Amino acid sequence: MTMPLDAHATDEPDEAALLARYARGDAAAARALTLRLTPRAYAQAMRLLGDRAEAEDVAQDAMMRLWKIAPDWRAGEAKVTTWLYRVVANLCTDRLRRRPRGPLALDEVAEPTDPAPGAEERLQAEARRAALAAALATLPERQRMAVMLRHFEGATNPEIAERLGVSVEAVESLTARGKRALAAALKGQAAALGYEG
Amino acid sequence: MTDRQDKVNWVDALLDDVSGAAPADPSGDLMARVLADAEAAMPAPGGAPVREGLLRQVLAGLGGWLSVGGLVAATAVGFAVGLGALSTVGLDALWQGEYGAYYDDTLGFSVNGWDFEEG
Repeated sequence: MTMPLDAHATDEPDEAALLARYARGDAAAARALTLRLTPRAYAQAMRLLGDRAEAEDVAQDAMMRLWKIAPDWRAGEAKVTTWLYRVVANLCTDRLRRRPRGPLALDEVAEPTDPAPGAEERLQAEARRAALAAALATLPERQRMAVMLRHFEGATNPEIAERLGVSVEAVESLTARGKRALAAALKGQAAALGYEG
Repeated sequence: MTDRQDKVNWVDALLDDVSGAAPADPSGDLMARVLADAEAAMPAPGGAPVREGLLRQVLAGLGGWLSVGGLVAATAVGFAVGLGALSTVGLDALWQGEYGAYYDDTLGFSVNGWDFEEG
């Protein structure tokens, strides 16, 4: 499932306008930004980290950075949603790189304690998520951002180009190189993750 | 299809599968913590404008117009005292080497470690 980066009703103020109001002490803007952005930051962190407590820490940390930068925010230079997405991605990458273990394979994940149907599928899904997150953490930042925006957020190449401040051709190159690097980082894990015979 | 394409294709499938998972919902506790952070870090109503002018930022750093007034007054007094001292000692004292003699006799070059550097 993908979620548009700027999914909100057109008659509502955009995030930059809300952030400017927050910087002038508008409590309603604080609430609106919290409700609009925290779920996205948390969902992104969960997808990369797979741990509720860690994802909550990252989301709270990223939002705190947003509150602190609000008085100095330069409207028009960057989208708030893209800035936050990048902060969350970098915070998650730092945590993934500090983790002692490499990517998880299915047979390395603990046996499910839930005997209900679907437990094995959930285990497989978690192994895939963890393997992909660990591989993404090995990519250079711009390749990682291009791949994540394209596949997790459903952004088009022109949208990614605008958000990263590069040409569409550069986005195509970043995405292609990013996926080749992912394939290299995930080498030997296709079968364990259920993608071969 | 090349081997290289095969490798990327299964990565595409992996990306699709992981992105297709339902997004996790934040807990009420997280939302409450983030909102508490926002309110704690929020400038006072009508406070910090998003982009202040350079002059306003410099003045704010110095403590406002009142402090700048005091700074100007103190500078004027210091200048007047300086003029008085010169009229007593004479402008020649500035270039007759008295300070240089004090520096060499009392402190010497070693005060800055130059003797070590120059061997």
